Amino acid sequence: MTPRSLLLGLAGAGLFVAALDAYLVVTLLPAMTADVGLTIDRFEQATPIVTGFLCGYVIALPLLGAYSDVRGRAPVYALCMAVFAAGSAVTATAGLLSFAGLPWLVAGRLLQGLGGGGLVPLSLALAADLYRNGGRTFALGSVSALQEAGSVFGPLYGATLASAASALGGWRFVFWLNLPLAAVCATGLLLASRDRDTTSTPASDSIDWKSAALLGVGLGLLVVALYPDDPTNRATSGLFIPLGSLSLIVLALYGWRQVRSLEPLIPRALLRSRRFIGVGAANLLIGGALMVALVDVPILGRLVFGLDQLGSGLLLTQFLLGVPIGAVLGGLLAGRMGGRLTAVVGMVCSAVAFLQMAGWQAGELALRVGPIRPADIALGACGLGFGMVIAPLTAAVLELTRAQNHGLASSLVVLARVMGMLVGLSALTAFGLFRFRQILGTPQLTDPDVRSRVDHLARLVAAAFLQEYREIFTIAAGLCILAAVVAMATMSNGSSRALSASSPPR
Amino acid sequence: MALALLTISACGGLQPVDPGQALRDGGAAMAKLKTVSATLKFTKGKISFQGYVLVSAKATVRLPSDSDTIYTVRYQDLLIGLEVVISGGHVYLRPPLSGFTEVTGTNAADIPDVAKLFDLKTGLPAVIPAGQNPKYIGADKLGDADSHKVAATYSAAQIEGLLPQLKSSGDVAATIWVGGSDHLIRKATLDGPFGDGGAASSVEVDLSAFDAAVTIASPTP
Repeated sequence: MTPRSLLLGLAGAGLFVAALDAYLVVTLLPAMTADVGLTIDRFEQATPIVTGFLCGYVIALPLLGAYSDVRGRAPVYALCMAVFAAGSAVTATAGLLSFAGLPWLVAGRLLQGLGGGGLVPLSLALAADLYRNGGRTFALGSVSALQEAGSVFGPLYGATLASAASALGGWRFVFWLNLPLAAVCATGLLLASRDRDTTSTPASDSIDWKSAALLGVGLGLLVVALYPDDPTNRATSGLFIPLGSLSLIVLALYGWRQVRSLEPLIPRALLRSRRFIGVGAANLLIGGALMVALVDVPILGRLVFGLDQLGSGLLLTQFLLGVPIGAVLGGLLAGRMGGRLTAVVGMVCSAVAFLQMAGWQAGELALRVGPIRPADIALGACGLGFGMVIAPLTAAVLELTRAQNHGLASSLVVLARVMGMLVGLSALTAFGLFRFRQILGTPQLTDPDVRSRVDHLARLVAAAFLQEYREIFTIAAGLCILAAVVAMATMSNGSSRALSASSPPR
Repeated sequence: MALALLTISACGGLQPVDPGQALRDGGAAMAKLKTVSATLKFTKGKISFQGYVLVSAKATVRLPSDSDTIYTVRYQDLLIGLEVVISGGHVYLRPPLSGFTEVTGTNAADIPDVAKLFDLKTGLPAVIPAGQNPKYIGADKLGDADSHKVAATYSAAQIEGLLPQLKSSGDVAATIWVGGSDHLIRKATLDGPFGDGGAASSVEVDLSAFDAAVTIASPTP
């Protein structure tokens, strides 16, 4: 193993641990919410458990990507793992003490997101630093594949570990385990990088912290403003206008600083680049569609198909298995047939899969074609499409920037996708619960006893969810098609084929 | 002498009382109540409600017989709230996401009537003073109220008299907090074999909003 592959492997291992954590919550959510006292009829209150993590991601991405450009990948990586571990400890203790309820749990997830979010641009930037000429797209694809592999195993890992460790706290044990894992990854990377300078040639001795903070805070406020705290009556937060206005003011301040600054956080040439804007828009749309799969497939499994926690995790795994395969495939194909075509093919693949899923019936999982379920094929194809776009879109932006800005550039790519996921989750929760309540209505259950009424309600809920998800999967297909159109219109097909060590922004 | 008086007054708080008298005072005070709120948390063991594991219950009671109670139970690994309104002799049930409908006959009788906890003849006013081996533990402060903390033991029959659905296979140990000035019972913890199948269980009962304004209307199905 060469030194640079060791470094990249260690960075990828930590990213894998954090990625496990990002998605394992989708199968553990019912148990976590029950332990902090949330009932099913107020389930929308559980949304911050997911968005808290993503919010941390959003805040960390523009800050830590740029910070690592100056301070070096390894020290900032260790800091990220420390914050991730601290957040894991906070999350694990939720519900154990009277003051450690839902806000405590969300705070823990936020810290985990802050730490985990920084790892993504760091690892991608490290890959770009270590592989300056040939093999870069493959390195990027491999790092992305490790992250997506964490996503693949996350839900199943979480459900399996929580079941196996039920005597050790169940879902809590899953988060406690992050502490030693984070320590091993951080220590390993620090030791392996001792004799190697992981700092890119800095564009400047100082970072525009104020601009980075403005961007992070502005985006964070936008997330909170979009959170539907009462989805029965409104699609956004009750404080949407003041928080949304404040977010716009903060983001406008950031824009003003960018215009006036001699060395802005995001190079002006990048902001004028059609390719950069197109990749950002495509990632935004992709993030929204991705959230549909991540959140709705396990819920569909639990409430419509009648699967248990492990079963719904396995169902989501069929989707997630396709993602790292697609990521590696996308990296290889982009080098051969160009990034634009690869990205378009990926998105069309996911769109077709979503349309197939929009036709699912309640007994879908009983259908088989030989030994294979059509449902698994659709889920796998959907994931494959999402994976295929990762390397081409990332490479398209990295080609526009100099090596010393790769940390920032890669963080912006991921930022757009995570913002798409955040907005997608907010919109999804609001639309989904609104349509669910419309479809379900207010049933009057007249069965003789309590148990038969609850069972009757469960059947009505399953039917309402199935109808709602058909609509949502159709919308997700539309988002994927739109992303494909944007990629086709803004990316050049020559991207990813020929890379130089320091490509000037264009 | 002056120093002793100063020390006693500096300590402040309640002076110990006869535990049996504290329980009698508590029972008498509960008998005069018109409305009360009760929160029950099941901290140990498994107690079923209509076939579901009971996690907690929150009730508003207008005596003698009206109540609005939300039972939080486990449904698979989710928590669901089942609201029961008992008003004018009718029992109405509202599962989550649905409307109120009446439950009748034996199905209605199977649902616990929290107002019965405060019945003058079979509820807390009668049972509390009849505790065996009362023992004074000390003074305690619950919120703004100084309380006497008293331990006592109650038989299975006494417990079942409180609520028919509470079936214990043996004596139950209770710790009761009785208000120092108003003698109202503010809190009680019960430990004993009243869980499913006679398993050891614990429940914590908090009482508040004594004689507060309460509206419990018959739901319109």
